[in-house]
Formats: sequence, C-alpha cells, structure tokens
Amino acid sequence: MTVLTVALRSLRGRFVASALTALSIALGISLVIASVLLSRGIKEGFLEGTTDYSLVVGAKGSPTQLVLNVVFRMDVPTPNILYRSYRQLLDDPRVEVAVPVALGDAYQGFRYVATTGAYFAAFPWRRKVFAVSSGRFFRDDAPEQPTYEAVVGAEAARRTGLRVGDRFYEGEEMAEYPLAVVGILRSTGSADDRAIFFTLASFWEMNEVSRKMKIKPLTAVLVRPKRMSDLPSLHRGLNVSTETQAVFPSAVLLTIFNLLSLAEEVLTMILTTVVIVVLLYLFISMYSATLERKREIATMRALGARRATILGIVLLESCALAVIGGVAGILGGHGAAYLGASLLAARGGLVTNLSLVSALEPVVFASVIFLGALAGLLPAVLAYRTEVAENLAPLS
Amino acid sequence: MRRLYATVGVALCLACAHLGPSAYGEEIPRLTFAQLVDSIRANFEVTQTIKSYSGKEVEIQGFIIPAGPPDLSFFLLSRVSAMGNYCCEVPVGQDETVYVYAAKGVKILYDPLRVYKVRGAFEAGPYTDRTYGISLYRVRNARVEEAVGARIFKLGETTTPGSNK
Repeated sequence: MTVLTVALRSLRGRFVASALTALSIALGISLVIASVLLSRGIKEGFLEGTTDYSLVVGAKGSPTQLVLNVVFRMDVPTPNILYRSYRQLLDDPRVEVAVPVALGDAYQGFRYVATTGAYFAAFPWRRKVFAVSSGRFFRDDAPEQPTYEAVVGAEAARRTGLRVGDRFYEGEEMAEYPLAVVGILRSTGSADDRAIFFTLASFWEMNEVSRKMKIKPLTAVLVRPKRMSDLPSLHRGLNVSTETQAVFPSAVLLTIFNLLSLAEEVLTMILTTVVIVVLLYLFISMYSATLERKREIATMRALGARRATILGIVLLESCALAVIGGVAGILGGHGAAYLGASLLAARGGLVTNLSLVSALEPVVFASVIFLGALAGLLPAVLAYRTEVAENLAPLS
Repeated sequence: MRRLYATVGVALCLACAHLGPSAYGEEIPRLTFAQLVDSIRANFEVTQTIKSYSGKEVEIQGFIIPAGPPDLSFFLLSRVSAMGNYCCEVPVGQDETVYVYAAKGVKILYDPLRVYKVRGAFEAGPYTDRTYGISLYRVRNARVEEAVGARIFKLGETTTPGSNK
C-alpha cells in the first residue's frame, strides 16, 4: 500500500470533515478566480469596445457621461448640440472624418442611435469592421424624406427577435413612425451590438420637438483628425467655445481605470483575508485530525512505519485536500465569472475574454498546493513526533 | 574595528550613489520642446542637429494626450496639458507634439495635469504611419514614468530646462 493510498483512505475515513475542508478551499479559490476574471474582463470589455475616433464632441457637461453614453451606450444622453457644430467640423481642414450621432429613446432597452452611413465606413486606422449578417445598411436620406430604415445590432436582434422586414416601435406616440428593419449587423464585440441604428432624418421626424426645430439637434460628433498633432488645437478650440466640449475617449477610460484600480486594491485586501481564513481552516482541520489520530499513528509506527512516512502521509492529505479544492475552485470560479458576466451583459455591461486561460490559473493552482502543504506542515511535524509508547497505553 | 566598518560602509554607500544614476541612464540626453520646435524648417523638414539624435535613446518631458487606445500603446506627448483651457496658447499648424509608441505594459496612473518623463529611441523627420498619420518627431519603444525630483529654484536663479533633472 503506497503512502498516497494511505493518505486518500485516511481522508475517506473522515469524509464529511474532508469534504467540508475541500469545499471551503474551493469557495475561497472560486471567489479569487471569479473576482480576478470579472475585473479583468470588465477592463478588457472597455478596451475592446472603445471607439477608434480620437475625439467625442458634445454639449458642455460631464466628459464621462458623454463618453459612456455615446461610446458605451450607458448613462443618459448629454444635452444637445446644434447641427451647425457638425457642419463646422466637416469644413475644418484639420478634420478627416466627422460622424454625427443623436441618441435618445430605445426599443426594449436597446438604445436608438441615429447617424449617417459614415458610422459604418471602413478606414485604414479603424480596428472595428462593420458588416451585415443579413440584409443591408440603411440608405442616407434627405431631411425632408426620412426612410425609417433601421439596422439592428447583433445582440439587440438576438434578444428582441427582430428580423429583416420587421416593423417596430415602442410607445404609442411612436406608432405613426414605425421603423423597418433592413439589416442585422454582425457582432463587433462592442456596445454597437446592443444598439439600433437609423438615419438622422428619421430621428428628427420621429421626435415632436426636433420636428419643429429649424436647426436640427445632435447629441455628439465623433472626430478623427488628419494629423494627430492637430488634436491639441482642435481639442482646445472646441473646449474654449461656450457651446461644445471635446473629450478624448481614452482619457475618460483611463480615469475610470484609475478609479477601478482603487477598487481592485480593496478587493485584493479582501481576497487576501479570504485566503488566510481558508488556510487557517485547513490548518485547524488537519491539526485536529492529527490530534484525534495519535493512537492510530502510534499503531502504524509500532507496525514499522517510519517517522518520515507518517510525515509524508499527513502532508499528502493536506496537499490532496488543496488539489481537490483548487481544481473545484478554478472550475467554480470560471463558472461564477460566466454567470456574473451574463448578468452584467444583460444590464448593458461589456465583459470579454473570460474564456482565456492565462498564467492566473497555474499560478493559483501551484500557490494552493504550496499553501496547502504549508498548512499541513505543523500537523505533519506533530504526527512525526508522536511517541509510540505514550499513545499506545491503555485508554482506561 | 567599528571605525573600519563605518569607513567601509560609507565607502560602499558613496560607490552605490556614484554607480546608481548611471545605471538608471544619467547619460541619456534630454530634449526639450523648445529645441524640437526650433528645429522645424520649411516643408516639414528638421535640422541636422536634431536629426543627429535619431536612433539614440533620449528623454523628453511633457503632458500625455491619450490620442490612441486606452492602453497607452500610442499617445502624444505635448508641451501643453490638454486640460488647462486658458493657461497657454496652443498654436495651430505648428507641430508641438511627439508621437510616442510605448513599449508593452505602460503602468502609470494617468493624470492630464502631470508631467511625465518619456525615454526611448528618438526619430526625427517626416514619417507617415498607417494608423496615426504623418509626424515629425517620434519616440519608439518608450518607457513612461512620472517626472519627479524637478529642481526647485531660489529667487533670482535661472536655469535651462535641459538641466532640470
């Protein structure tokens, strides 16, 4: 009978205590893995889902609200800017591309984004590629002849069940202006998957207030300069103006990441405490088991088992619990992260790259085994030093 | 004996203090935005003096303008912060930026009002990047850190920015 077999049989002999110890390790490791995966996934989601445009131009107010709403479809839209701000940007020799967007209203929670065909255009500097999985893109229309054609993001189409040819509206005041689905977008891995796109002319005509406005409103303009070195002067000019603000989307994200890093530090402290509590539990479990088994250990020693063998059995028991708990914890952590990501996605959050197995899992697994052995070391030494004569004495 | 230990200790400290800065690249030349702007000539050309730094490791200090992705693999280094709308003029048509291509893993807490120290391989002269367009000055494989330890001047003292390490 090998040392490993003895250790496993010993664990099986006190099944409930062993299972509870492994479960506590698994829960602790699950918490660590799920927290790290979700935290990394949220950050990656923001990184992958960000815009390729260098500036977002909108009304004066919060830069974070502007970027979260225009790029990530979170928060509420900022106040309107006038269409002439967009025209001025189009005429600016420093600007290569300017794309107007108007946001407001939604269908079953999926935001309406009114824009032009330029929103979907491909450029050499653009990472994001737009393509339709069925149908076609909407046609740009004249302000007086809105087409009410809509292109639906991949996630929005999947969740609402909208198909090419369907007509839809939400709210009785919109019944006169139903949108017709002409295309479904392929997934882009960004907030555009959860949006419903149509033309600015349709948007202005659907809204009672903008219908009456002579100069039409917009929420924002996405800008890409011809030369990056022109960005500071463009940015400054738009911010000194009393009507607009210009925001670097990456600057807003970096500010959010700075805040997230503070939360991550707090989370690290909490997770460290959890790991210490789990280790203590493993130590107490192994220590009390060794105390209870002193007579059994003395018998084994009397039958010829060496001190080193006894030490090895207790250490192996501790490591086996750590391995079982570690494997279950890593699997459970991935499961919990997927569940968390699904819940966040249902609420409009972007979480990506959860399936990637990185250096995290092997490091966590190796650490669990090392710490498991460490927690079992004192009980193992206690078992090692068990005196045969003292512990084989009659009980009564 | 104690005096001997103390002498050896002091000698070792002095040796470390002497060796330390060179290990951290004390010899790296620092370029200022004034030097860069003065080196611009007509037709998007630059002087031979500034070109002589091409391919060499340099240090430039300035404000980060995150014109590229949020991982800061690319950003602009500017003389002027993007935040202060009224502090100083931003000239139109005059290139006062350096295109910085960072080495992987820029781990800084971004602050638009903070001066950062960028060190990397310098390039001068017009170059067109497929993603970021034409530029005059670039730093590749850059390392970024907060510029700390700037010299504090007494009343009446003057300095050149290049000596401000």
